[in-house]
Amino acid sequence: MIGRVLAARAALGLGVVLAWEVAARARDPLLYIPPSRVLPALARLLLLRSFPLLPEHVWLTLREILVAYALAVGVGLAVGAVLGLRPTLGRVYAPLLGALYAVPSVVWYPSLMLLFGLGAASKIAFGFLLGVYPVVLAVLAGVRQVSRELVTVARAFGAGPGRVFRTVMLPSMLSTLTGGLRAGLALTVVGVIVGEVLGSTAGLGYLITYAYGLLRTADYVALVLVTLAIVLAIDAAAGLAERRARRRWA
Amino acid sequence: MTIRALQAASVGAALLLWEGAARARLVDPLFVPAPTAVAAALGQVLGEALPALGRTVATAFVAYALSVGLGVGLGLVIGARRFLGDVLSPFLLAAYGLPKILVLPWIVLILGTGATPAVVYGTLHGLFPVLLLVIGGVRDVDRSLITTARAFGARPWQLYSRVILPAIVPAVLAAMRLGIVFALLGVLVVEMFAGVRGMGFELSAFANAFQAPELFALTLLVSAVAIAIGLVLDGLGERLNRWR
Repeated sequence: MIGRVLAARAALGLGVVLAWEVAARARDPLLYIPPSRVLPALARLLLLRSFPLLPEHVWLTLREILVAYALAVGVGLAVGAVLGLRPTLGRVYAPLLGALYAVPSVVWYPSLMLLFGLGAASKIAFGFLLGVYPVVLAVLAGVRQVSRELVTVARAFGAGPGRVFRTVMLPSMLSTLTGGLRAGLALTVVGVIVGEVLGSTAGLGYLITYAYGLLRTADYVALVLVTLAIVLAIDAAAGLAERRARRRWA
Repeated sequence: MTIRALQAASVGAALLLWEGAARARLVDPLFVPAPTAVAAALGQVLGEALPALGRTVATAFVAYALSVGLGVGLGLVIGARRFLGDVLSPFLLAAYGLPKILVLPWIVLILGTGATPAVVYGTLHGLFPVLLLVIGGVRDVDRSLITTARAFGARPWQLYSRVILPAIVPAVLAAMRLGIVFALLGVLVVEMFAGVRGMGFELSAFANAFQAPELFALTLLVSAVAIAIGLVLDGLGERLNRWR
């Protein structure tokens, strides 16, 4: 059964690539790039012929993601813990955060560009803004899962707040929390890339709009594929970390 | 004190602090204008902004209708066939999670800078969350309900209308609630990226011109409208839930 599913997936993927090749060859070569032309462009890109500074742009994007995610996790855990452990505060402020969640996040980006400029800071701010929500929501949901009795017992045996959090709360909210941390990372990555595409002077998103602006469409497709590979690699690493954390603490 | 009063008091206090900081020049009013300045700017640009807002919301609703229609339709088909769902799930999850902005330049290249790329990109954003939620909803329908209905001789369309549809109402509602935010997001992104006329374009134009009061005013306007649309959908959702 699993073999059949995998075979069907491979056939579908291959079919799409073939259909793309056939369809693209029949159309405007500037707008439709068949896979047979993407591969040479990809090779030129990876050999640093088309964009010699590619590694620097990739490195900048990765650093933006890293800083934005560190901020999102730190602030998200702190805000989530405060709102979750102080039920009165939670009842007042969690709905306000929920209302903001209904706003399409990209409306904040022009303001961030105005405040932080075209450089890395506005991308970090936007990635942070997107990534922090899932973390806060996961902590809030996780705290609700922790059984009151366990906390009371631990307290009665003389455990301090830090100890209670580490030994009692963390294990029981672990799967919710790691899920939120992973969703937060995915959104941080999206935020940084969206920010770079919408307005920037460096980074992968900048290269993509640059190639598009010059109508170097084959290079553009190659850059998109590289970006997708990086995003998938980050998500795979996060998935690995998630499984490890579960095995260690659960 | 009730929660509402505390919320209102906190927002009021934050606005007062902000006003005070701006008046005392603790922040640069060029970048962080006082709330009163933002309110004044809102009055000035509102006449110009309302048509743009209308255009954005209308485009987003077209994208939204397409997302929900396609998402629920395809979701019912894919969700009911386990093998099809298993085969497609990694592709659908990837389409949902990967940054769609990467294909936006190509969409604009092919479709130009009118309302069409905005509708297409908005739909691209709205479709996958709806589709995934509906597939999940159909899959989670209690098997014994379906077996029972079949045993009592229900025809396929009866099975859909009497058993599966009522059972997936919560999933569809969640999808509809999420879909509008994504559709609106997609439309705004296209307007910002390609200069398509609408609120996204207005926002980035004010940002590029360093007109902070106008920018903040319009940002708040779009946010308020998005929250209002969400609340209306919540109200509709309650009704649909009662029909069930």
